Amino acid sequence: MHIICCIKQVPDTAEVRIDPDTNTLVRAGVESISNPYDIVALEEAVSLKDRYGGVVTALCMGPPQAEVSLREALSLGADRVILLSDRAFAGADTLATSYTLSKAMEKLSREDPIDLVFCGKQAIDGDTAQTGPGIATRLGYTQFTYVLSVDWVDLQKRQIQVTRKSQGGREVIRGSLPALLTAELELAVPRRASLPLLISSLQAQVEVWDARSLEASLNELGIKGSPTWVRAITSPPARQGGPAFDVSREGDVGAVSKALDTLMDEKGFLSKLLRKWED
Amino acid sequence: MVKNSKGIEVAQILQDKCIACQICIGECPVGAIELSPEGVAHVDAEVCIGCGKCQESCPVEAVQFERARKKELSREERGMPPVGIPGYDGVAVFIEVQDGKGVQVSWELMGKARELADKLSTRVMGFLLGEEGIGRIAQDAFAYGCDEVHLSEHPVLEGYRSAPYGHALTHLCETVKPEILLMGATYLGRDLAGIVATHLKTGLTADCTGLSIEDKTRLLLMTRPTFGGNIMATIYCEHRRPQMSTVRPMVMRLPERVPGREGRVVLHEWSPPPMDLPEIVELVGDALEGGPDIVQSAALVVAGRGACDPQAFHLLQELADVVGGTLACSRPVVEAGLMPYERQVGQTGKTVAPKLYIAVGVSGAIQHLVAIQGAEKIVAINPDPNAPIFKVANVGIVGDYARVIPEFINQLKHRMGA
Ligand SMILES: Cc1cc2nc3c(=O)[nH]c(=O)nc-3n(C[C@H](O)[C@H](O)[C@H](O)COP(=O)(O)OP(=O)(O)OC[C@H]3O[C@@H](n4cnc5c(N)ncnc54)[C@H](O)[C@@H]3O)c2cc1C
Repeated sequence: MHIICCIKQVPDTAEVRIDPDTNTLVRAGVESISNPYDIVALEEAVSLKDRYGGVVTALCMGPPQAEVSLREALSLGADRVILLSDRAFAGADTLATSYTLSKAMEKLSREDPIDLVFCGKQAIDGDTAQTGPGIATRLGYTQFTYVLSVDWVDLQKRQIQVTRKSQGGREVIRGSLPALLTAELELAVPRRASLPLLISSLQAQVEVWDARSLEASLNELGIKGSPTWVRAITSPPARQGGPAFDVSREGDVGAVSKALDTLMDEKGFLSKLLRKWED
Repeated sequence: MVKNSKGIEVAQILQDKCIACQICIGECPVGAIELSPEGVAHVDAEVCIGCGKCQESCPVEAVQFERARKKELSREERGMPPVGIPGYDGVAVFIEVQDGKGVQVSWELMGKARELADKLSTRVMGFLLGEEGIGRIAQDAFAYGCDEVHLSEHPVLEGYRSAPYGHALTHLCETVKPEILLMGATYLGRDLAGIVATHLKTGLTADCTGLSIEDKTRLLLMTRPTFGGNIMATIYCEHRRPQMSTVRPMVMRLPERVPGREGRVVLHEWSPPPMDLPEIVELVGDALEGGPDIVQSAALVVAGRGACDPQAFHLLQELADVVGGTLACSRPVVEAGLMPYERQVGQTGKTVAPKLYIAVGVSGAIQHLVAIQGAEKIVAINPDPNAPIFKVANVGIVGDYARVIPEFINQLKHRMGA
């Protein structure tokens, strides 16, 4: 079985913010990490390989330093890793990203036909959740987003059954291979790298593919292939806070009573509460 | 002024403004820019030819030249009409159906669509897919402000599956040619929007919290949180149509329902292309695991890490019962396995807009706060007076929940006359 896993390197987003005084970006101490959902997806890919045999290829589109994420993938059990890196890929939105990744997959599939593609359900920097469906659509693969578990794969009948989140709750659904799956956190618990794999991953050569080797159309790559543009960035809108009452100063009874006074200040609040918000 | 050895003034990157969008890297004709390991654009001075393409393309003015550069004139300055793409007109909303009814987020979007359409002097359309008879939902769409419902009915469209829905909605877009298409950022909407945008090769902006029309250009400006909610980015899509956007439930206000308001239904023939259809083997309802829907609750009592113990939950549930609300939580509580994911409020959980939101032991991290913007009244209970939650709370009580909440329940019951 040939399994592809897409991995994105992202800034540890909890740290990036705008300085409200200068309206500039504060990125001190921000580290790059592999998108956590992708690492969960990789774990599932590797355990399916262990169960059914085959090869896991990890793909990452990004600048040269993103190869760190691919070394991590090797240490976690990927067999082969490829970095898609070219200035022409830079500035890609999700449409151009899914194009680049799908071109790489077409190329890989010519060498060894692909059975499964894994992506994280979303990346923590952009949260769009669009790249997976974009790739599935371009390649014509069966699409399963928000996958909670892979129940089985039948390579003879070319079928897969998964459990996924859906609007009403969960659904168990089966369809044909090749298929593209996007991973929920519940899909797997990532292993820790073993020492031998960790060492060999640091020594491995990371293959790099550029636009030419993908036989990609330059107009569909990177900024040229991206229909969406950023017009501006701003701080999130601030909400105006009200008073806080400290129990150490006002006592439990006093603080709660003043807080409730403030809350009930608005006309009709108590009556809405009494009517249990009906209307 | 920084010059290279050839005497050319080279681009300067303002490190604290650069958002690492990499647009300049793609635009640079000589490949002089790359992303530094710190995640900002870096210019190789010896390669740079000083052409200024990077400066023109930078969305955040992070590229600087000292000498005045000839600025590219905008369309307006050149006396040209605002952009628009001939043949595309109207604001469409995809009407998501669950249990035979339109889901609320579709109607919330109908309200927004009305506002955008009025600004553009155009019409509001609903796109509706489903099995035979689903057209009856059109009445609801009209009541919420829709002018026309475009409909495809087919047995294959009974129950959502990605491929046929993707195909049918793409077909509707190609036939009707809306200028804008809005969809709910639900599991279904997010699964479907990416398919349709890829088929149509158009731009899609996910999880928008603000939508407006730019006066000069008539373009849709789509604002969304990015970098984990720390930053808002405003996105636009100039050259492709429709301009697509998804919006989470409870972000836009539900418009008033006007029963009996009328509109036009247009049926579009559609049949699926030959395809291997996945088979849904089993459906398990949310209710079985997650309990009541926190998105629909008028009041929420939200447990954070500071109240993350099963003993506390009894107390919080009691408070929830008194205020007629539901128990929800922050992410660490889900991670600790004490509440199901369905109850998580936040950027990676649910966006909520209850009338009353009581945060207990929640610090107020940005990833949590982005999802409670729409709450009417926020009450915070936390012993740390510097917790960021107090900056957004209408009322705060600085103290330990174990002592504050019993007193809160007491006094509240008293005021409620019980
Ligand atoms: C990409 C990304 C996505 C995320 N998505 C989400 C999300 O969807 N939802 C979410 O909630 N978080 C999310 N987070 C996590 C977020 O950054 C915070 O870590 C999290 O919200 C903190 O939860 P908390 O406030 O419960 O815990 P903490 O930040 O640990 O705060 C606990 C609070 O409890 C108070 N406390 C302690 N003792 C008591 C007591 N006796 N009584 C009352 N108060 C007490 C403390 O003073 C403190 O303020 C995300 C993070 C990232 C990076």
